[in-house]
Amino acid sequence: MSVNATISLALDRVDWNALAGNQEKLPRVFTPGEVLMPEAGFMRGHGTFVEDENIKASVAGVIEKVNKLISVRPLKSRYVGEIGDVVVARVIEVQQKRWRVDTNSRLDSVLLLSSVNLPGGELRRRSAEDEQMMRQYLDEGDLISAEVQNIFEEGTLSLYTRSLKYGKLSQGILVKVFPALVKRRKMHFHNLSCGASVILGNNGYIWISPTKNEDQEGGEGGFAQNLSEVVPRHEREIIARVRNCILALAKCKLMLYDTSIQYAFEESLKYDVHELLQQHVIYDIGEQTQARLRDADE
Amino acid sequence: MQTLREFTRKTKRGNILKIVREHYLRDDIGCGSDICQHCFQNDVYALTADHDLQSSLFKYPHYLVLDTNVVLDQIDVLEEDVLRNVIILTTVLNEVKHKSSSIYKRINEIIHDRRRNFYVFVNEHHKDTYADREPDETANDRNDRAIRIATKWYDNHLKSSQVSKSFQRSGRQVTRVVLLTDDAGNRAKAEAEDILVATASEYVKSLSDHPLLADKLSHKTFANEKQALPQYPPHLSLREILEGLKQKKLLQGSFQASRENYLEGNVNVEQYEKGILIQGRESLNRAVDGDIVAIELLPQSEWSAPSEIVLEEKNVYADDLPSEERTEEEKVMLQQVRAAAVVDAERTPTGRIVGIVRRKWRQYCGILQPSLIEDTSRHIFVPADRKIPRIRIETRQAATLQNQRIIVTIDNWPRNSRYPHGHFVRSLGPLGDMNTENEVILLEHDVPHCKFSEEVLSFLPKMPWTITPEDYAKRVDLRDLYICSVDPPGCTDIDDALHCRELENGNLEVGVHIADVSHFIRPGNALDKEAAARGTTVYLVGKRIDMVPELLSSNLCSLVGGVERFAFSCVWEMDKEANIIKKRFHKSVIKSKRAMTYEEAQVLIDDSTQDNEIAKSLRHLNRLAKILKKRRMDNGALVLASPEIRFQVDSETHEPLEVEVKQLRDTNSMVEEFMLLANISVAEHIAAEFSECAVLRRHPKPPTTNFDPLIKAARYQGFEIETETGLSLSHSLDKCVKADNPYFNTMIRILTTRCMMQAVYFISGSLQKEEFFHYGLAAPIYTHFTSPIRRYSDIMVHRLLAASIGADSTYAQLLERKSNEELCHNLNYRHKMAQYAGRASVGLNTHLFFRGKEEDEEGYVLFVRKNALQVLIPKYGLEGTLYLKTDKDGKDGHERAKSTVVFTFSEEDHTQRCGNVVFHSFDPVTVRLSLDSSNVQHEKLVFRLVKPYIKGFSVETGSESAADVAAPPPTKKTKKNQKKK
Amino acid sequence: MAGRFELLSEQGLRLDGRRPHELRHIKCKMGVFEQPDGSAYMEQGNTKVLAAVYGPHQAKGKKTETNDVIINCQYSQATFSTSERKNRPRGDRKSQEFKMYLQQALSAAIKSELYPRSQIDVYVEVLQADGANYAVSLNAATLALIDAGICLNEFVVACTASLSKSNIPLTDISNIEEVSGGPKLTVAALPTAEKIAFLEMSERFHIDHLETVIETAMAGCREIRDILEAAVKEHLIHIGSAADWGRVC
Repeated sequence: MSVNATISLALDRVDWNALAGNQEKLPRVFTPGEVLMPEAGFMRGHGTFVEDENIKASVAGVIEKVNKLISVRPLKSRYVGEIGDVVVARVIEVQQKRWRVDTNSRLDSVLLLSSVNLPGGELRRRSAEDEQMMRQYLDEGDLISAEVQNIFEEGTLSLYTRSLKYGKLSQGILVKVFPALVKRRKMHFHNLSCGASVILGNNGYIWISPTKNEDQEGGEGGFAQNLSEVVPRHEREIIARVRNCILALAKCKLMLYDTSIQYAFEESLKYDVHELLQQHVIYDIGEQTQARLRDADE
Repeated sequence: MQTLREFTRKTKRGNILKIVREHYLRDDIGCGSDICQHCFQNDVYALTADHDLQSSLFKYPHYLVLDTNVVLDQIDVLEEDVLRNVIILTTVLNEVKHKSSSIYKRINEIIHDRRRNFYVFVNEHHKDTYADREPDETANDRNDRAIRIATKWYDNHLKSSQVSKSFQRSGRQVTRVVLLTDDAGNRAKAEAEDILVATASEYVKSLSDHPLLADKLSHKTFANEKQALPQYPPHLSLREILEGLKQKKLLQGSFQASRENYLEGNVNVEQYEKGILIQGRESLNRAVDGDIVAIELLPQSEWSAPSEIVLEEKNVYADDLPSEERTEEEKVMLQQVRAAAVVDAERTPTGRIVGIVRRKWRQYCGILQPSLIEDTSRHIFVPADRKIPRIRIETRQAATLQNQRIIVTIDNWPRNSRYPHGHFVRSLGPLGDMNTENEVILLEHDVPHCKFSEEVLSFLPKMPWTITPEDYAKRVDLRDLYICSVDPPGCTDIDDALHCRELENGNLEVGVHIADVSHFIRPGNALDKEAAARGTTVYLVGKRIDMVPELLSSNLCSLVGGVERFAFSCVWEMDKEANIIKKRFHKSVIKSKRAMTYEEAQVLIDDSTQDNEIAKSLRHLNRLAKILKKRRMDNGALVLASPEIRFQVDSETHEPLEVEVKQLRDTNSMVEEFMLLANISVAEHIAAEFSECAVLRRHPKPPTTNFDPLIKAARYQGFEIETETGLSLSHSLDKCVKADNPYFNTMIRILTTRCMMQAVYFISGSLQKEEFFHYGLAAPIYTHFTSPIRRYSDIMVHRLLAASIGADSTYAQLLERKSNEELCHNLNYRHKMAQYAGRASVGLNTHLFFRGKEEDEEGYVLFVRKNALQVLIPKYGLEGTLYLKTDKDGKDGHERAKSTVVFTFSEEDHTQRCGNVVFHSFDPVTVRLSLDSSNVQHEKLVFRLVKPYIKGFSVETGSESAADVAAPPPTKKTKKNQKKK
Repeated sequence: MAGRFELLSEQGLRLDGRRPHELRHIKCKMGVFEQPDGSAYMEQGNTKVLAAVYGPHQAKGKKTETNDVIINCQYSQATFSTSERKNRPRGDRKSQEFKMYLQQALSAAIKSELYPRSQIDVYVEVLQADGANYAVSLNAATLALIDAGICLNEFVVACTASLSKSNIPLTDISNIEEVSGGPKLTVAALPTAEKIAFLEMSERFHIDHLETVIETAMAGCREIRDILEAAVKEHLIHIGSAADWGRVC
């Protein structure tokens, strides 16, 4: 079997910056240590600190003002959770009455035994037996979708899955992007028209899976995993294409949400799935998607 | 201001490394011309529009760009104040620096002379003149191209400033740029590129106003030699040499020509203890004394022994071609030597020179050899240094240079020329003139002796100098103490003074007060730099070359009697047994009560009727000094002797009138003792305060082999010399006393002195503590503190000491080990040279003293050699060779055969026997001294035996010997006087 | 000509043609990798450095208990970074030293109170070493930290300085100047606050010169800071614009 490898020369590098062209109105960006404004009358929020009676930025990013609260949002950082965020997470440790999960935030997050729906009804009491059974429900390495329930003092996130739409993830692909690229919206679960479902975790973890039938979805409170079912090839190809599109958008620093993914998917159809890994193809998709998004905005 | 273009340069070295370096090109480099209207000039204009040099080649104002070869070869022309408006490219400067650091130094001096209008143009970093090295281009070609590019650029650049209407209206001629190069290839290319170009000699000869400048041109060839046959084998190329060295086929070392035999020399090679002998003109192959050469070892069967023949080249004339006859003569000589060598079994490794790694040519003093043909411009120059071959030069001023001491430099030595080619540099003055002769001594010993420059003098304190109240406040006031100085008569640079007084507790307070020179010489200024460069004051007979200007040395710093002066004081509290109880250092103001000579001080001490404070103080000092000295001796300090003499010099003619041996009195040793004590105290202090950068002086223990001649000489006399430690040596020297020979002990000590190593300055951080030892003084640590007026090392020590006691601030250089090491290096060199120069001056004056005189003097045999006696004359501190056998004396060989006087040398006890007369070492003899002036450059003192009388050998005493005086017997002709080393 | 080599020609130019106070040409780029949280590439003359930042993430092991952020650095020099091949890219004494120094300087800038029980990993790889390796590494690490969105008091930048024989201070020492034997002083500073986070000298400076040399290095720091700041802003504009400022507008 012959393998076609594409090796591009450093000289033919794609200039990603070209995507940033034709912007009329540029927001002011701040860098660490830069003075935002005098402290008087304002409250300092994330990404700022007070020194010498001035509010200064501590990260590089854009200023955000909510009434008197001043904060600077970095364009890229670890995930900073907010209550109500949808996240995709991976279990890294089973502990007493809780799971430790990775949500790409500064500290590991926890999923309390009490925050999950156990099989057998919502109002069931948690028994000692359940504690011993924890590993049966969720083991190290398992992926889940969840929502941020609470934020502890030091910043540790507490998750819950007590909704039918959350729970253990079954067959699909995980894609990691920078959290900032995931657009905060009402809906983070999408069944794309192309035939794949995506969960756009606010933490930058994105789950792509085959679209299931309505009745099947999350039916059992989220601990079932059907690994024996064979996903047909064309569905797998679609999933792969969606993955590559998402990565392409991420590479181009375009925001990720259903429309952008949908557009990118459509633009990608003129290429084979594997071609989507090539730099100039990525650039092309990015450019086309950007253009369509801008058109749509206007 | 900065163009951020990046260039890479690749160099290869050793195991081939690719080195990439950044190279910034700039647009802010000015052209330095006052014509220019474009450049941003950050400098004062170096190049002017004025042009008064008339050249028949270029009849308009022009600037000169010099090629590297012109700078290297024609530096003497450049040093003449003729050429102006010269552009020196950094390409050229770098090449010069790489090729010859001495010429680099000289060109820099010219550049710094603002009046000369030399401008350094940084073409390597100018955006329009940078030349990137092209593939397959050699570094040389690239540099040549860079020079052409820069010349072209300059020409165009200046042209563009001279096209304006106002310029044309001014009616001035357009200034152009001319390239001077001696490289034919470069010249041809330059012509092709429309660059004005000429060779250095064409150009210099075109200067009608300066005809004599042509004398200074360096010549590669002389017209009449072009067709001459090669007389020397070719040299290997540098690459072949490196290859040969790598494969161990060749050896490398520095060549030392023999002083006695112009056809012989020695190459010091690491692996061979005695070096490798080189014999014969072809083997010497154009090496000049000092050159680093590559040699090939001859097969063992061809090894030879150093001939003990003194062979001097006979006069030749410039237009002579080497005659068959002479070659023949040389061959005979070689054969003789080889034959002798076979018998002698003293054969040493012998080799021949196959290439020159590095020339160490310098400027040579000497005289012109009178020419047979009148009106010729070609001449032969005879250097004063016998190790240097004669040099062929071309000059039109021969008539005026006759009987003058002149300086000549070697340009090159082609294969077909018997002698190296050189050119005249300058004249020193008439032969035999005291000033000229002193100048020669100073030059030959590299003593900086020009007048202090205006800049240096500008850092002197303004006169009249007064002590301000602030000065008093900062210093301890010692004006009331009875301080006095003791020095040799006629001393004007008094740098030390002493006092001693009784304290209430019965102890004694002793103070040594040293002139505070560092107060006047501030670090880093021109005065300081000049003093550091000179390193030491040089004393010649009747002349002193000061390290610091006279205002300081003889006035402000000199601790003369009755005047308030600044001093650096070292004060001890001692008990009566000279044990130090306390010591302190501080700056002070003193007023010396009296400046005395040693003699006066001695009289004062001895005269018991004197009971003033000074006398009391001196007596205390004297007593303490004796205790100190004894203690030192018990520790193993050596009492060494070297004959020292003083000349009484006529104040007008500067000619020596009288010779006297320096007398040593108690007071000499008294002053010396306290100076030693001060030096040691200070050394301990600064070494403790500055463990890394203190300036100290050490005297290494000589290797035991050094003592061999001494031990042998003593053994023949029945004495054993122990050299294990300084102490045992000192004791065994004390035992060498012979009742019948009062001078014996002194002679043994003189011999001991010669076994010693040189004492040197060093930096404390560079050596281990154990190595600080001063062998001669038996002191674990030592430095020089007491003579800052005449030694720079003392100034450094003063500064360190001042910094350590908070009397003065430190500065960066003072605490830097590296720069201090460099300074020490220079000081050691200057110190050595000053000593040599002083001895040379004594030698010169000895000759002058004996001019036209003939004296019989008492002397002692110092060594018995195979063919001679080494005789020491205590009265003059003079040492010379009395030849017994002349059969090794080439030219006079057959005459000797007729002689009936035969000396037999005995290996066993080192004696010479002739009939019933036996010469042992240390035997007294009487010799007759006279001056042989047959060679104007090399006058010689001749020793002839008077007593014991040997018929047919000794000179006849009494009236009949008068005849001999006028015409010394030919057998003595080539005896030479050896000055002690 | 023994001893120290003259670093400054009489015409006032350094060996590579710079004037005493001039920095080398600086190029930098942020976000060069996708995998780490922050990354940067920095060129200062021919010294080229890559830096990657992972974190902040949960500190591993016992360190969890401490309330301060753990800054874990690694300094490594590619075997091909010097003209003579290096045998060990990291772990030698020099690398260990640099690693410590990086940690020291970075901890002065990172707002550690915001990251309890967390760890930040900073990996620095010198691709080509041409002098001031530490300084360039620190500058690259700063950019990578900013790229990772980690809160800093301000830019922490480093610059080197030396002293010519004629006692003129020189900024940003290249390798050739380093090996030619000039003394080297490295300062890592918070330029706006004018605080020095780290200072190292290759040999002793005299007290008279120390101040001017430090001031020269500080001036270099300020200049580098301005260059980095401009680069950061440009980078932000680029990525922000691509997404049409996403959530901002």
